[in-house]
Amino acid sequence: MSLDTADASAASPAAASTEDTFAGISLRRLAWRRLKRDKGAMIAMGVLILVFVTALLAPLIVSVLGLSPYDFDNSALDPALGSLPAGSWGGVSADHPLGVEPLTGRDLLARLLYGARVSMFIALTAVTLIAIIGTVVGIVAGYKSGWVDTIIGRSTDLLLAFPFILMLIALSPVLTQRLEALGLSPENARIIYLVIVFAFFGWPYLARLIRGQVLSLREREFVEAAVASGAPTRRILFKEILPNLWAPIIVYVTISLPTLIAAEAALSYLGVGVIEPTPSWGKMLADSVRYFAVVPTYLFIPGTALFVVVYAFNVFGDAVRDALDPRTGRNLR
Amino acid sequence: MTGYVIRRLLTGILILVLLSMVTFLLFNALPTDPAALTCGKSCTPQVIEANRVRLGLDLPLWQQYLEFVKGLFLGRTYGSGSQTFTCDAPALGYSFRRGECVTPLILGVLPVTIYLAVGAFILWMISGVLLGIYAALRRGRWQEKATLGAALVGYSFPSFFIGLLLLFFVVIKWQLLPYPDYVPPQDDPVQFLQTMILPWITLALVFAAFYIRLTRNQMLETLGEDYIRTARAKGLPERTVIRKHGLRAGLTPIVTAAGLDLAGLLGGAIIVESVFTLPGLGRLAINSVLDADLPVITGTVLVAGFFIVVANIIVDLLYAVIDPRVRLT
Amino acid sequence: MGKAYKNGLRLAAVASVGALALAACGGGSTSSDASGSAAAAGVTEGTKGGTINALTLSEQWQHVDPQRMYTGVDIAFFTGYTTRTLTQYKYAPGAEGTTIVPDMATDLGTASADAKTWSFTIRDGVSFQDGTPVTCEDIKYGVSRTFATDIITDGPAYAISYLDIPKLEDGTSEYKGPFLAEGSIVAGFDKAVTCSEDNKTITFKLNRPVGDFNYAVTLPAFSPVPKAADTGEKYDDNYVATGPYKIQEYTKGQKMVLVRNENWDPASDDYHLAYPDQIVVSFAIDAAAIDQRLIADAGEDKTAVMVGQLQPENLATIFGTDDPRFKDRSVDGYDPYVRYTVINTQKVPNLKQRIAIAVAINRAEVIAARGGDFAGDIADGVIKPNLAADYAPSGMWTDMFGQAVPDTGDPEFAKKLIAESGEPMPELTYQFPQNPVDEKIAASYQAALAKAGITVKLEPIEPSQYYGIVFDPEKAQALIRSGWAPDWQNASTVIPELFGKTGGFNLGLVDDPAFEAKVQEAAAMTDRAAQGKAWQALNKEAMQNAWVVPTVFGKAQFLWGSNVGNAFLWDPYGSMPYGALFVKSA
Repeated sequence: MSLDTADASAASPAAASTEDTFAGISLRRLAWRRLKRDKGAMIAMGVLILVFVTALLAPLIVSVLGLSPYDFDNSALDPALGSLPAGSWGGVSADHPLGVEPLTGRDLLARLLYGARVSMFIALTAVTLIAIIGTVVGIVAGYKSGWVDTIIGRSTDLLLAFPFILMLIALSPVLTQRLEALGLSPENARIIYLVIVFAFFGWPYLARLIRGQVLSLREREFVEAAVASGAPTRRILFKEILPNLWAPIIVYVTISLPTLIAAEAALSYLGVGVIEPTPSWGKMLADSVRYFAVVPTYLFIPGTALFVVVYAFNVFGDAVRDALDPRTGRNLR
Repeated sequence: MTGYVIRRLLTGILILVLLSMVTFLLFNALPTDPAALTCGKSCTPQVIEANRVRLGLDLPLWQQYLEFVKGLFLGRTYGSGSQTFTCDAPALGYSFRRGECVTPLILGVLPVTIYLAVGAFILWMISGVLLGIYAALRRGRWQEKATLGAALVGYSFPSFFIGLLLLFFVVIKWQLLPYPDYVPPQDDPVQFLQTMILPWITLALVFAAFYIRLTRNQMLETLGEDYIRTARAKGLPERTVIRKHGLRAGLTPIVTAAGLDLAGLLGGAIIVESVFTLPGLGRLAINSVLDADLPVITGTVLVAGFFIVVANIIVDLLYAVIDPRVRLT
Repeated sequence: MGKAYKNGLRLAAVASVGALALAACGGGSTSSDASGSAAAAGVTEGTKGGTINALTLSEQWQHVDPQRMYTGVDIAFFTGYTTRTLTQYKYAPGAEGTTIVPDMATDLGTASADAKTWSFTIRDGVSFQDGTPVTCEDIKYGVSRTFATDIITDGPAYAISYLDIPKLEDGTSEYKGPFLAEGSIVAGFDKAVTCSEDNKTITFKLNRPVGDFNYAVTLPAFSPVPKAADTGEKYDDNYVATGPYKIQEYTKGQKMVLVRNENWDPASDDYHLAYPDQIVVSFAIDAAAIDQRLIADAGEDKTAVMVGQLQPENLATIFGTDDPRFKDRSVDGYDPYVRYTVINTQKVPNLKQRIAIAVAINRAEVIAARGGDFAGDIADGVIKPNLAADYAPSGMWTDMFGQAVPDTGDPEFAKKLIAESGEPMPELTYQFPQNPVDEKIAASYQAALAKAGITVKLEPIEPSQYYGIVFDPEKAQALIRSGWAPDWQNASTVIPELFGKTGGFNLGLVDDPAFEAKVQEAAAMTDRAAQGKAWQALNKEAMQNAWVVPTVFGKAQFLWGSNVGNAFLWDPYGSMPYGALFVKSA
């Protein structure tokens, strides 16, 4: 699935700064004001904040509830049914509010909460790296032009020519081995691996986008003025140009996040994602797949969680884009 | 125009060469010893050495790469004496684990992936673009909100989850279709369709959602532009305005995205192929990863990359044809 | 018998029977004389014609090449259809299935008094699929291929270890197989395997007494290959059949079609039943899909069997309720495998510490993660009760270590043992093939051993690379998941292989000369009862040394189409009795 780059570029800084001068108040506040008016976006944001907070506080919540994501519970399983959860609804009981995992009896609520931490950590770290690398490379390529631009351009072309998911899978055994050789535990090695590879194959899209923006910014008066006044390149890049790029970066980040969360899930489904005993939503989904005919709740719990978060991100991302792109605002509302 | 085409083709070829080098290096300069993967349980140092020589793995890496490239054009013979086997050009290597040349292996599974990708592509393009236009035309009304809302929902499901839901309800719960079991269309067209329909729908659902949004945004953008307003002002019927002017100009990003998405799928719709166990390129790829079957991994990555590069070229050329605003210098 | 328990994903290991659950297949024979061979085989007389469909998750058979074939289900399949061996196991449910009958040979072979020389005579009319008669030289050539270990990989090595051929200093045979033009010393092999003047009788000279060598020759590794047709590496794709069927089509990842071999002479064969006209194997079908198709039992799937076994998530559906839909076409029984975890003696040389690991493991959780009641029983050794003569309870969990160890493990006892060991417990790494069940067990190990204060790191390994890694002493870690089934009904294919210094499956790098001497002594015994006692004692001694932690005496479950006859769990290979299957109404 390609990222929504075409949409992200719609929030162009050129348009934004025009609006800026027109309205006489900062774009940031203008965008925020627009965003606040969007009820859907506010609900989505609420959901996301809630998820972040519960993920952050998962150990606390789980211990308060007296649950554990790692402890097996044979008493919650029915040996005569091949270790499926005992009782209806996937083994829902006072001990296990969302039921238990088949074969182990581990608590699903606890694993769901802990899983959120892992899924969020991977997506947020990767997207941060993407934003940093993509922005820096994009600015440099766009501003420097010439051979620097050519080399960067060809490298991004090359990276984009790699079948992304295929590479993720193909490199996984090798790179995780390398990471383990560095002293990481296998669980952490997989997580770090996912972050690295997401970042590695993710930045070219953003770099391209940023490069395009920088190319047009470079021609504008305030940049030309800075150049004429003899300001050092670094200052021009980061003081003059960068502040005008945050809109497309934010939009790109909000669209990337759900894609990354879903990608983590897909990779776990394919067997190259997060490994035991670490829970992640993707891992849970992947595991529950085999049980979908006999314990459907097991599939629907992580599935719904994943859907709600990705959906909230998408709604929120849409709204951010609308808020940051005055043209759509003007035309549509 | 010719100059542009030639330049575009040359960069494409450059990227392909780079891709093959990087892929080759990536998978052959690994800590895992490819020769050790050829004999499994019965590996002894002697066997590993013998197989290393037979497969040419004892040569320096750059020479292995040259052999590989030579094989692509001339075919390649492995081993020596009475124990030789030849892979015909274009030879992508030899899989010890499967005892087969990589090229026929890939060619064998490619049709499945092509059927899957093209079928889904048709479905999602038709539904996505039409619904996108519909949403644009009903802007501000509930129809737009409903269409976009539905698109966002579809967009938010990971494809394997949609696939599994479909499998669960359509096949297991309601038993409307038999369990997917791929046969080539020429063998049994009915069973072929029964097998492919759910994978097609799965992919189409995910992608259509994206294209609805994209088309609608593009339409709105172009409809707001001056020349469309001029066309309307001239009194042209709305239908003509949309079809002749709006669609054409708004088409460019859609064509770009469509070309790249199709190419991506041709490189193996790994997830959907796994969910529905279709014996396509993606499944071949993931199975060879699980088997550490390096020649097959390299081959599938190259083939998939080839599709992406070619699609990029085609898209760029189409771009020039469709959008009169793109100037070719 | 597939030796090592095949791990996970691709190679669904198969199972075998206890005498239970065979109601479906009418174990009794029909009385009529006409049903001679079926009755002799102890199965129901079937009808000729129709197509048997086999569904499998695998992309392909491990090997078709007889000398490279070693997976139980592969042997069961090919010996049932295309590949004749000197002797083979009887088609019969229960223990009767583990007795051997002659196939290509006229009888069960003739042994010399010291059991060091064995002769088999080939029946008249045995031929390859092109009509050429099978001669002793063809079998001899076939056996010679086993020695070409660089090309003929993955197969059993009994020919190398049993035949009386001088060994080189590094322990390998001086004979290196038929593919080397030079540098191979053929004389030793020519002396060890000889043919009679009429080229019909083959004689094997062994380097030690092997009282049940005629069981070893059930392995296709001892079956003929025509030298002219041998394409080495590629023989996997160009196999020349000797049985009632030949390979018409073999497309890896898709299907294999077997059709009748018109050059097979029924008069030369009392073993093969050859009921169906055709056998079609469909590869690369998702395990869940196989289950669902057989559950639905529609159309062609009515004559289908599964090559792998039922998925744990479907067991409740099929066996949980007395569902009449499945009652007569499913089986739940013991397979030949013992699952265990190796404790690497190089990494954990301290006996008390090894025992501490053994008693800390939560065996109840292991059973649960394997599927509760369908997993099997808690194991107390590496010899399973279905190896009747060689099994005796080892007492491992009752009194062997001075106190009973509950199924849930005893972390306090483990702590005590570690304290007594006088050394700090090293940090351990557990290696296991990455699949949904084994990773759960790994999580259980980690948690259970943590309670005893033992830190365990988990190292999941891609299933296909698993044995390659754990067999490498450089890469092998402290704890290694494993499983084993005897190659035939004698623990001589278990104890020496697992704990002998030169054993083929000595993952724990056990090197105990005193134990080794006792193993050699037991292996040479010709009195089977005394030998059984010796294996029982050695099994117990191995457990006292805590070289492995046995966890489960495994079970397996199958489902088949309603129109398939003679389906049951066949003991020797823990599979369907492929050669006996028939289509009830074609």
